[in-house]
Amino acid sequence: MNLILSSLIFVPLLAALVVLVMPIRLQKPIKAVALLGALAQLVLAIVVYLNFQGAAVANGQRGYQFVEKLNWIGLSLGSLGRFQIEYFLGVDGISISMVLLTGIVGVIGIVSSWKITQNVKGYFLLYLLLLTSVMGCFLALDFFLFYLFFEFMLLPMYFLIGIWGGPKREYAALKFFIYTLVGSLFILIVMIGLYTSVVDPQATAWQLGLLERGMPANFDVIQQVRQLLQQNAIVSADMVHTFSIPAMTEPANFVPNSLLHVMSGVELWNLPIRFVAFLLLFAGFAIKVPTVPVHTWLPDAHVEAPTPISVLLAAILLKVGGYGLIRIVYPIFPDAGIYFAVLVGGLGVLSIIYAALCALAMNDLKKLIAYSSVSHMGFVLLGLASLTVEGVNGAIYMMFSHGIISAMLFLLVGVIYDRAHNRMILNFRGLAKRMPVYTSFVVVAFFASLGLPGFSGFIAELLVLVGGFSSPEATGMLPRWLTIVAVFGLLLAAAYYLWALQRMFFGKFWIYPDLRKDAILSDLNFREYLMLVPLAILALLFGLFPHLLLDKTGFAVTGFTEMVLQNGEEQLGRVLLMMNK
Amino acid sequence: MELTSLLEPLGSTAETNLALVVLLLPLLGFVSLFFFGRKLPRKGDWLSIAFTVLAFLLSVWLFASTWNTATFHTRTIWFSLHTLSGTFADFTAGVLLDNLAVLMLVIVTFISTLVQLFSVGYMHGDRGYSRYFAYLGLFTFSMLGIVLVDNLLLLFMFWELVAFSSYLLIGFWFQRPAAVAANKKAFLVNRVGDIGLLLGLFTFYTYFRTFDLSALRALVSAGNWAAAGFTVDYTLNGQLWLVELSPVLLTLAGLGLFMGCVGKSAQFPLQVWLPDAMQGPTPVSALIHAATMVAAGVYLLARCYAFFTVDALTVIAIVGAITALLGALAALTQYDIKAVLAFSTISQLGYMVMGMGTGAHDASLFHLTTHAFFKAALFLNAGIIIHAMHRGLHHTHQPHHVDPQDIRNMGGLRKAMPLTFYTYLLAAAALVGLPLFSGFLSKDAILSGSWAWAQIMSSRGNYIYFIVPIIGFTVVLLTAYYMGRHLWFMFFGSFRLPFDVQALRLSARQEVEQVMALPVLLLAILSLGIFFSVNPLSFGSSWLMQGISLEKLAEGGKVLATGMLQLVAAQDEANHTTHIVIGVLSALLGLAGIGLAISMYKNKSSEALLQEAPKGALAKLSFNHFYLDQFYSNTFIKPTLLLARALYRVDKRVIDFTLNYGSKWLVVLSKIVAWFDRLMVDGTVWLVGALSKVLGLFGRNLQNGKVQSYVAYSLFGFILVILYILLI
Repeated sequence: MNLILSSLIFVPLLAALVVLVMPIRLQKPIKAVALLGALAQLVLAIVVYLNFQGAAVANGQRGYQFVEKLNWIGLSLGSLGRFQIEYFLGVDGISISMVLLTGIVGVIGIVSSWKITQNVKGYFLLYLLLLTSVMGCFLALDFFLFYLFFEFMLLPMYFLIGIWGGPKREYAALKFFIYTLVGSLFILIVMIGLYTSVVDPQATAWQLGLLERGMPANFDVIQQVRQLLQQNAIVSADMVHTFSIPAMTEPANFVPNSLLHVMSGVELWNLPIRFVAFLLLFAGFAIKVPTVPVHTWLPDAHVEAPTPISVLLAAILLKVGGYGLIRIVYPIFPDAGIYFAVLVGGLGVLSIIYAALCALAMNDLKKLIAYSSVSHMGFVLLGLASLTVEGVNGAIYMMFSHGIISAMLFLLVGVIYDRAHNRMILNFRGLAKRMPVYTSFVVVAFFASLGLPGFSGFIAELLVLVGGFSSPEATGMLPRWLTIVAVFGLLLAAAYYLWALQRMFFGKFWIYPDLRKDAILSDLNFREYLMLVPLAILALLFGLFPHLLLDKTGFAVTGFTEMVLQNGEEQLGRVLLMMNK
Repeated sequence: MELTSLLEPLGSTAETNLALVVLLLPLLGFVSLFFFGRKLPRKGDWLSIAFTVLAFLLSVWLFASTWNTATFHTRTIWFSLHTLSGTFADFTAGVLLDNLAVLMLVIVTFISTLVQLFSVGYMHGDRGYSRYFAYLGLFTFSMLGIVLVDNLLLLFMFWELVAFSSYLLIGFWFQRPAAVAANKKAFLVNRVGDIGLLLGLFTFYTYFRTFDLSALRALVSAGNWAAAGFTVDYTLNGQLWLVELSPVLLTLAGLGLFMGCVGKSAQFPLQVWLPDAMQGPTPVSALIHAATMVAAGVYLLARCYAFFTVDALTVIAIVGAITALLGALAALTQYDIKAVLAFSTISQLGYMVMGMGTGAHDASLFHLTTHAFFKAALFLNAGIIIHAMHRGLHHTHQPHHVDPQDIRNMGGLRKAMPLTFYTYLLAAAALVGLPLFSGFLSKDAILSGSWAWAQIMSSRGNYIYFIVPIIGFTVVLLTAYYMGRHLWFMFFGSFRLPFDVQALRLSARQEVEQVMALPVLLLAILSLGIFFSVNPLSFGSSWLMQGISLEKLAEGGKVLATGMLQLVAAQDEANHTTHIVIGVLSALLGLAGIGLAISMYKNKSSEALLQEAPKGALAKLSFNHFYLDQFYSNTFIKPTLLLARALYRVDKRVIDFTLNYGSKWLVVLSKIVAWFDRLMVDGTVWLVGALSKVLGLFGRNLQNGKVQSYVAYSLFGFILVILYILLI
């Protein structure tokens, strides 16, 4: 079996173990080991990315490549059937871009952490743990495994903000922790419900003796099991329940009369239980995205987090939310996805406009960028809710592009904070005079973020908006006015960025008197070039040659939209039928 | 009709390859100057100019070899959204060379060359010298991109890049607060227009699945007006698409596209950014805010002409007329030399847009061309004057508050600067539209076209449409008046500042640097009508207009408004005598305006001119540009900022407050639970313990080891047993 995905996940963990046994005083070597770990992950990510075949669909795993599948925990529960958790990894067009992004940002973050002096060993240990768990999230195809990694992200993040953060770090870390924990509780509930409702047809075939244990099942056997299952012909002792996400996306794998089966008829708060489950899962991931109105942890976390952690948070941690929606929520509950399309798209548009307006009111540069993150992630929701090929491609593109550009933005805020120990917009004026190169990078990053053509953000916004706009004709998901409102987000983005440029970087040079003593406003140094130049080049590269990413994602996205629309329409009809009975 | 076959990749030809070279040369200039400019000898200005001159020469060659011959088109796949079912067409990219494109190519590279040449003198010694040339390169690249691309998405991309490079150039002197306020405003106002443009593009994409211009034109050409609306059917990978569009939707989509033009070409109500944009260096104003960038909007209208319905064109005509009028009215009272020219530009752009709206497609493009030359000449000349005023003020140690751009501080300049005077005069005559000058031809063509349009539109008895050509004629008068006033203030009378006017000259022998004189001279000469038409009194014999007619550019295809446009064209053909009347009338109006200005100012003393200020409510209204800025600030900007702050307070005071208080109540609840735990649960346990302790104590006391006590207990027990048996 090809172990490249496992290596992707566990290489940073290996580096973390090495760091663990190193003496505390070896600060440089510790950093070197951490860098090596992240670099190795990046190299592996690039290898996976290059070898990933965008056009390869089918062969049983619905386009998953580099699949690793091992039985991890298997228990016979007597009459309750079998309990089964798998170590199930794979990558497809939806996760491939996130894998690459994690690799890139992981390395940039280490370079950005080079100046950390406080408790170096602990810092890099946690940092590497974080990389492991994020990568695990993007590669896990077993819901349980995913959840494990998802929860595990919290721990290093909590400490990284809580120990290495700014003055109000405890508050911010706790807020981050509790928000996310509440979200993951919702996810946990639905996960358990799903587990009880879904069987693994292959393992069930083994259990039934239709197939010799350990033999891969062909399509006919799987269909046979599904038929038996839907005819109630399998006793529960023979059912092998599973956490496998691909199994959950197949409606025929749901046990009849189980809680989350389409025809279960169970209602909660006057809604079919499947809709409630969708809403719970959506809430769980929406907190992570984050979406207005559950976004307020993000500005606080960003303001308090040290620069490299902000970079990781904005560039990859937020993406887990959007990724979860695409990987888990929509494929498993396509009926509810269609039913609640306006809600999801509406929240996306609300995020775009609301957060952009908040950004306009900000005096803290970092908070401004944090709010702009919320605004940009709104595009992900809008694109996804449209369920058009353009929209979903755009959502994925936006996640990737925002990863690159927001990393750049937070690094740039870190630059001024390092030098002046302050980043309030009104405390500075005319920085362009003292720091011309820095200002050039700020201009590039701001314009890239506000969607200047030529940078990746433009392609993302274009695809999302065109998808949303054509949605009434193409899929019938969203009303047109929603997208028209969203387009005004482009204007607001230009407004807050250009206003910040005008106030902070242009005009006559001036700096608030209290800051003058400590501020040494030197221009960028080599280490900062090392981080910013590659990011700028990447933003440009993916802005000019969208096929670099779209060739990898395109087929998977089409598969996704077709499956969601097809399964969704059919199941929605049945769910609503049950409701009316 | 199969869409994918309309979008097939087309091989490149020598012409399109050359066009790509022309496009990339300025970009090369930008890259080399931006990164290495400071290290190059002379800070690299020669390199940038060399690239642009080369681009110009290649453009001229392209023009000579392709004008009126054929359309060259190359296309390749840019990216695609992969599907198995094939419901999507690829996103393509390509170069389209037709008469309009090569004409624009020549204009843009020519003016860009001259402006760069001029800037060698004008920007001499500036700290950001190489950065300046780099930005000019980036701008030229973006503008050429708009001209050359074959599809609306790419056009939009270059469109945004033009806005970006204009942002950089307006704010070139970034230490001036006014400059960075102006560039922000320009970019934002342009974005408002771009929102409309984007929505227009989306509408066409939604129904036609492509952004490619020639494919869209072909689809529109294949469509028909039915009772329900406009219907088109085509196949995409064999799947049939039946598109039925209501006239309202089509009109709205067209107006969306027009919004882009409203922003970029400074049309009402988005024209407010252009006067502020004068904060940029003056050569930049000549290049961007007179000749090229602002013309991009008109160019867009021409490129998308097939997609406008009759109603959309009517709105376009009216907006253009309003803009022409407002711009001219505002120009009447300005004292800043560049402000007059800026408002005049707005007004002339209004003319072009009005021409587009009234079906005078070719006249409008013709005016775009002539205007590019004479307005660039005016701006560059203004640059020479500003430069000279700076020199004079500096050498004679005048106080700092004396404004070198204020025409009230000038006067009698013709004595010291004859070359500037005569070239300015030529260009101004073209702007006013005096016979024999280029502006006369193009303006006349627009006026005739709008007259014919009004005749057709009002054939159903509604004569309101004649307001458009009437505004056109009014603007001729106003233009002549403000230019007459402008010229009088600057060149006639006596010099009004307290030093010798000769101090403005570069030296006693030389009026101005040669690199600055040459471009102005060339542009002024090109303001003569003879270059554009063999008969400089009649636009009918203009070779240029014939080359950019709608039939040529649309390649014979139908457009949405074909019916109306054909009627207007036929009417225009028939208007033989009317043409002569219109020509004579506009010439007379021009002369009248100039005469009016002279008679107003001839007898005023120097002091009166120096002290002049706008008097009366109307003059103030004009001077302040109808208070549009204040209006926008009060109705849009301030409320938006208030809303922004209010929403942030919602974040803090509602969402976070709820959370924080929620968590506080949670703590209170947990305290209660803890208290319950301590008092009730623990208390019960304690009670049991205490009770057993008491019982134990009691039991222990009983066993005191005395035989008498034991006998007494057993007796007591025996009595209890007896009682139990007896009583129960």
